[in-house]
Amino acid sequence: MRKLLRTIFLVDLAQGLWVTFRSQSTKNIYTEQYPAERPKVAERYRGAPRLNNNPDTGETLCICCDLCGFACPEQLIVVSSVRNPETRRKELTNFTYDVSRCMFCGLCEDACPVDCLELTQDFEIAQYSREGLIWDRQMLEEGPKPTQYSS
Amino acid sequence: MATQTFLDANELVLNMGPQHPSTHGVLRVILNLDGEKILGTDCVIGYLHRGVEKIAENRTYPMFTPYVDRMDYVASISNGLGYCLAVEKLMNLPAPPRAEAVRVILTELNRIASHLVWLGTHALDIGAITPLFYTMREREEALKIFENYCGARLTTHAFRIGGLQYETYDGFEEQVKAFCDAMEPRIDEYETLLTGNRIWIDRLKGIGILTAAECKQYGVTGPMLRAAGVKWDLRKAFPYSGYEKYEFDIPTRENADTYDRYIVRMQEMRQSVRIVRQAVANIPDGPIIAKVPKVVKPVPGEVYVSIEAPKGELGYYVVSDGTNQPYRVRVRPPSFINLQSLEKMAKGALIADIVAIIGTIDIVLGEVDR
Amino acid sequence: MESLPWQDDLTAAVKQQFGDRVLEFLTYRDQKFIVAAPEAAVALIEYLKFEAGFDYLVDVTAVHWPKREGAQFDVIYILYSFERNDRVRVKVKIADGYKPETVTTVHLTANWLEREVFDMFGIQFASHPDLRRILMPEDWSGYPLRKDYSIIQMDQRWVKENLGIESGQ
Ligand code: SF4
Ligand code: SF4
Repeated sequence: MRKLLRTIFLVDLAQGLWVTFRSQSTKNIYTEQYPAERPKVAERYRGAPRLNNNPDTGETLCICCDLCGFACPEQLIVVSSVRNPETRRKELTNFTYDVSRCMFCGLCEDACPVDCLELTQDFEIAQYSREGLIWDRQMLEEGPKPTQYSS
Repeated sequence: MATQTFLDANELVLNMGPQHPSTHGVLRVILNLDGEKILGTDCVIGYLHRGVEKIAENRTYPMFTPYVDRMDYVASISNGLGYCLAVEKLMNLPAPPRAEAVRVILTELNRIASHLVWLGTHALDIGAITPLFYTMREREEALKIFENYCGARLTTHAFRIGGLQYETYDGFEEQVKAFCDAMEPRIDEYETLLTGNRIWIDRLKGIGILTAAECKQYGVTGPMLRAAGVKWDLRKAFPYSGYEKYEFDIPTRENADTYDRYIVRMQEMRQSVRIVRQAVANIPDGPIIAKVPKVVKPVPGEVYVSIEAPKGELGYYVVSDGTNQPYRVRVRPPSFINLQSLEKMAKGALIADIVAIIGTIDIVLGEVDR
Repeated sequence: MESLPWQDDLTAAVKQQFGDRVLEFLTYRDQKFIVAAPEAAVALIEYLKFEAGFDYLVDVTAVHWPKREGAQFDVIYILYSFERNDRVRVKVKIADGYKPETVTTVHLTANWLEREVFDMFGIQFASHPDLRRILMPEDWSGYPLRKDYSIIQMDQRWVKENLGIESGQ
């Protein structure tokens, strides 16, 4: 009997629709207005790589140890350096990082002993060509410059 | 294929996939039909084969961890846990208690996220569009926790051999608790939408039956086995990562059909919430990573370690030859083996049911093909 | 750490049943495995299923040891018993070209698993009902998981014919 009544009055349907309507309130809106409003990504987000410079002197922090290159499973980091005959220290000449093959696993970042290489919160790294995704030292130090849109 | 069937009709061969929305990826199923009835199926897989096992042989042990995330990409944390546990077992290097607790929390959240994806897409296949939006909304919350924790949402690479790389962030406990509090009423909500829904019941009850004996024959594990009444869960059978410390039940059902698997998975989500609550209430202090040598070089030997992934038993068979690269890593993928039972379940079913049956296995093609 | 020998009721029963055809009982990190002669594998798995309750075949896989004389492949069957809550591995060492009997007659799971082993290692399972490649394309040549197959190696002919490019690299 109860079942019949439930069937006649479409109780299941009403219950289901109630759930639907309850979620219509405007404070439950989850849509992000990208690109007008850029989403806030987490602090630990692993995005575009960057080579950090010493904030005081502007010199690179990299000590050319190539540990990042060894740690990378895709072997996409190439560190080139020359040894300075006077100071007996290696100096960075170029640093290439093939973002197109990178899977943003963060192993290189973990390996770096001086916190030079860092995966930053920039996520807009799309390019029109594959070649554009092979970043050199300059690009890595400056970071990507995506077009900014405003609403 | 001109086999004569009932009413002198010819057997019809229908190709479903590889690009079909309800095959959840690139699965191609060749159906032999008599009218609408399925006489036989043949799965063609391998479209997503990336040779993960071969890659493993050419990488060092820590380098391989990000790759396992790409197998079952909706439950990447479980994959990572299985691999890390296997190498830890090989090296006899257990993770510290704090790492274990955090691992349990994240894996259980991942189980919920994975079941939510399954629920949304399965309901969508059957014709109920609404649950998908709701499940994605909740999954988003879980993914936010992952993002805050390790910086990635899907292919997380959250665990390392020997423990964790990242310490929990400020507000981790609160966010996880808030998620648990929000999740329980939401599961009730899904159940109001589906459990009593007549269309849902009609489409699922009695479809794709696989009894306990057949499950064992086909090696089917996970929720499918439990829906057949076998109370078996690797978290209880071989507790790993400190699961023995938490109280939870193994939900089972008797009818072994698609509807029961749905109920079991819903219950499992509730149990996961329960485990997460217990785990987050007391995360022990201490180090998050064991003393892992700089170069991971296990002595020659071989181990098989498996965990209860959302889809079933996920096993890693790792052979070491004493170098810093694994000699062989074999992944026992639950989706691959569960998919094999499609043949049995689909035989005699109608063509509309095949969608429900594929959905109920809960496959991820990245894991089937590896 | 070396593999240690292992002894209990099960080993005694298996030893009595199979005699010399079972070579060793070992454990490594508390995981048991039985090394058996290739021709005894199916009978042993059947015995373990019906007499000892190992009714769930977890996995079938292989390992290639190209440097080992005479027996280049290990074929590994992982079994689980719901009753005992125990796992045991059966390992057989076979030479390249040897055709081990299929275990699909005992466990239906083995169907796809053996197909995968065939696909990846080229081990042909005798009297398998449907031995085709499963993950690789059907007309691919070469067996990718053999050690002599380099990671960047591919079937050039297949790539050229089907993808229309010179090389996949
Ligand atoms: S994030 Fe991973 S894949 Fe990318 S460069 Fe670093 S180590 Fe290599
Ligand atoms: S690990 Fe750091 S310091 Fe060393 S080469 Fe890489 S970026 Fe430079």
